[in-house]
Amino acid sequence: MIRPVHKKEVLFSYLISILLLAALAVWLRGVDLSTGWKQAGWMNFSLGMVLLSAFLLAKVLTRVRLPLISGYIFAGILAGPYVTGFLTREMVSRLDLINDLALSFIALTAGATLDIRGFRGRGHLVAANLLLNIAVVFAVVCFFVMASGKWFGFTRQLSVMQLSALAVLLGTIAIARSPSSAIAIISECRARGPFTDMVLGVTIIIDVLIIILFSIALSVSRLLLSEAAGVDFGTLGVLGIEMIISLLLGAGFGVVISMYIRRAGHDLSLLLLIFGVAVTKISLWLGHFMEARFDMALHLEPLLICISAGFTVRQFSEAGREFLESLEKSALPIYVLFFTLAGAALNFNALGVCWMFAACLVLIRAAGLFGAAWAGMVVPGNASAHNSISWMAYLTQAGVSIGLAQIARRQAPEIGVYLTTVVLAVIAINQVAGPIVFKAALNKTGEARPEV
Amino acid sequence: MKIFFALFILIFLAFSGYHLTFRKIRLPLFARSFYLTGTEFLFLGLLLGPQFLNLLDNATCQGLAPLNALLLGWIGLLFGFQFEISRLRRFPLEYLAAGMIEGGATLLVIVGAAILLLSLLSFFGVYLPVSAVLCLGAAAVCTAQTGLALLAPEFVTRRSKLVQLLSYMSTMDSLLAVLIFGLAFFFRGNFEVGARPVAALALCGGLIVLYLLMTIRRCGDGELKLMVIGMTVLTSGAAAMLDFSPLISNAILGFGLVNFSRDKERIFQILLSIEKPVYLILLVFLGVGLRLDSAWALLLGTGLCVFRLVGKWAGGAASVLLIPQFRRYPRTLGFGLMDSGGLPLAILFDFQQRFSFSLLNDVVGTGLLAVILTNLLSPGLLGRLFKDTSNDTTGA
Repeated sequence: MIRPVHKKEVLFSYLISILLLAALAVWLRGVDLSTGWKQAGWMNFSLGMVLLSAFLLAKVLTRVRLPLISGYIFAGILAGPYVTGFLTREMVSRLDLINDLALSFIALTAGATLDIRGFRGRGHLVAANLLLNIAVVFAVVCFFVMASGKWFGFTRQLSVMQLSALAVLLGTIAIARSPSSAIAIISECRARGPFTDMVLGVTIIIDVLIIILFSIALSVSRLLLSEAAGVDFGTLGVLGIEMIISLLLGAGFGVVISMYIRRAGHDLSLLLLIFGVAVTKISLWLGHFMEARFDMALHLEPLLICISAGFTVRQFSEAGREFLESLEKSALPIYVLFFTLAGAALNFNALGVCWMFAACLVLIRAAGLFGAAWAGMVVPGNASAHNSISWMAYLTQAGVSIGLAQIARRQAPEIGVYLTTVVLAVIAINQVAGPIVFKAALNKTGEARPEV
Repeated sequence: MKIFFALFILIFLAFSGYHLTFRKIRLPLFARSFYLTGTEFLFLGLLLGPQFLNLLDNATCQGLAPLNALLLGWIGLLFGFQFEISRLRRFPLEYLAAGMIEGGATLLVIVGAAILLLSLLSFFGVYLPVSAVLCLGAAAVCTAQTGLALLAPEFVTRRSKLVQLLSYMSTMDSLLAVLIFGLAFFFRGNFEVGARPVAALALCGGLIVLYLLMTIRRCGDGELKLMVIGMTVLTSGAAAMLDFSPLISNAILGFGLVNFSRDKERIFQILLSIEKPVYLILLVFLGVGLRLDSAWALLLGTGLCVFRLVGKWAGGAASVLLIPQFRRYPRTLGFGLMDSGGLPLAILFDFQQRFSFSLLNDVVGTGLLAVILTNLLSPGLLGRLFKDTSNDTTGA
């Protein structure tokens, strides 16, 4: 008979394993990497190391009630360039393929998890939350940046127009959420219920809307920075067309995936992984191709395509359950790698430069989220004990915000450095604090299922 | 972008391919043995490689090197899982002796031939490293059970003891092959022994302890999958960094896990789930590296095949003559051990990745051709062995 293993023994063995892995990494770091085969070996070793140590560390940290993804992020921070330097910036960027793969996979999961049947009779709540989240968060952050611009050395030298443009862009980026973190926490807590459905719905819809809102904000900021420029309605029109094409394309792929599940069904997890990465890469390639060959800017949104595909399979076919199960089967290694690499990529230099401004911005954004989420529940007449905690579900921010900041940096170079520095610093805080707060909220609502 | 498309094509080929290959389709015997072992993927690799379409060029293959180590690690781990001591101990010792005699004889013949060849080559000013000889010897010693697996069930039932003996001998053959191949990593120059592979071997022991610690708690399927992927990638990477073989390191790990882990059945199922696609991708990669620009490789490949045939025959005959319990079997016992299977391909691929000398591609090409030829000859020779065996119903 096998002796049951005590929790303390498991914890102890995990800690010993982490120490052994660390010792191994220290030892192998000294090995010369003169050949391509050895460099490939180092890459493999690092991947294996990240996968195992992040998983073990996250498991250990669950003892202090931290969510698993926080553990992965902490492991990434520890392994990243600012602490041990085990994962260099170059290596993190070389693992971009994993990020693409994970993001597409998470977008597919997001689409498949979004259950419109859960919104029945609650549509007004979702709409109110959406509107207020967008309006209040934008207004609060925008006002704070404008009002406090002269208090911080970081922004003191900006002109009024530059500060206004920065305020508009930061206000818009503050609306963005991290669907990947939300999905990972919901999946970890195995949460089900009206609160979870609403949070997920709002997060994913905002993820779609943010692209439109950001384009408008970018046009406005360009207008503020240059007297000659005006709002480019043509660009907005093209953006709308691109989004519609992306959604339709995703729906088409969703139909094809449903047919595949019904007729063949084998190796579904792998097929979905390939599909996700293929969509990302082909969208990128198509954008470059159209620009180079026809001088035409057509940028399909891979995440939107994946969300739409996942949503179509889940809502309009009988294969939804099988599809979701298949996604869940492969989820763990992808989440571990994605969030660990996200942790390693966090920019602590940026945090060092403007930590005071970033900390204030995080607090102001959180206050805005609290107000918006509370009003979003109370105004439509929903008297619930969860009204005061629903803001906690919206704190996380990640890749989308960084991407938007990078675009803004290129489009508005006058304030680009300030913007990216602040955004990176804010994300560093929100990405660490957000998952912890969200898990606590799910526990408080009672929608998180207890650990087996 | 090209690396991504190459990866995409490879995975697509492997997963769509294995649903078409390895099936019992009614084809002529010659075509069947070719088709059922996935050898067509070798030629597909050749087509995709620099010699023809150049879709998988040298730079792309270098970019995909981490995948190569993972493939080798996966095959190694699966190989190590064959050696569950409690299962192997159920067989009498004479089985082990027969396996060792037969494997040793094949090795002697191949090494003897290689020494002759080396002397001949050195006469012309061409030098081959010792590691190349050991690699070809190891690839020649390998035997797979593929041929036996393709026999009709009623045929197997009638000669169950002979089939059992051949299966056991093929397992032991492969062990010997991996041990010989391991030696190749210890020779840096011709006779200079490297220290790093020794460290890699010691590390394997440490990694077994590490993985047993990590799996102390019975974890969920997703968690176990993560650990298996993580440990394979980590072990392969560490081995490559230490100038050692990912195949052998993972085989040692597999040996440790199958004997000490309580999750061995679940781990084995995870490994098995993508065994065939992994094997097919390996074949494609080998095909990419195959050079057919020299008629010498064809000649040497045929020569290696002939020497292997002689070695196996001699080894089988020696086992029958030296072990009294096996005297009832025909002296052509070695004919039942001609099928090479996937392990020699993994050995050749591992060798190709780690070593670098001017005749590397010729050595690997020779080994590959020999493997293809022996796989083609194998069904006929196996039939010959069973014909030689008397049709007694005692289960011989």
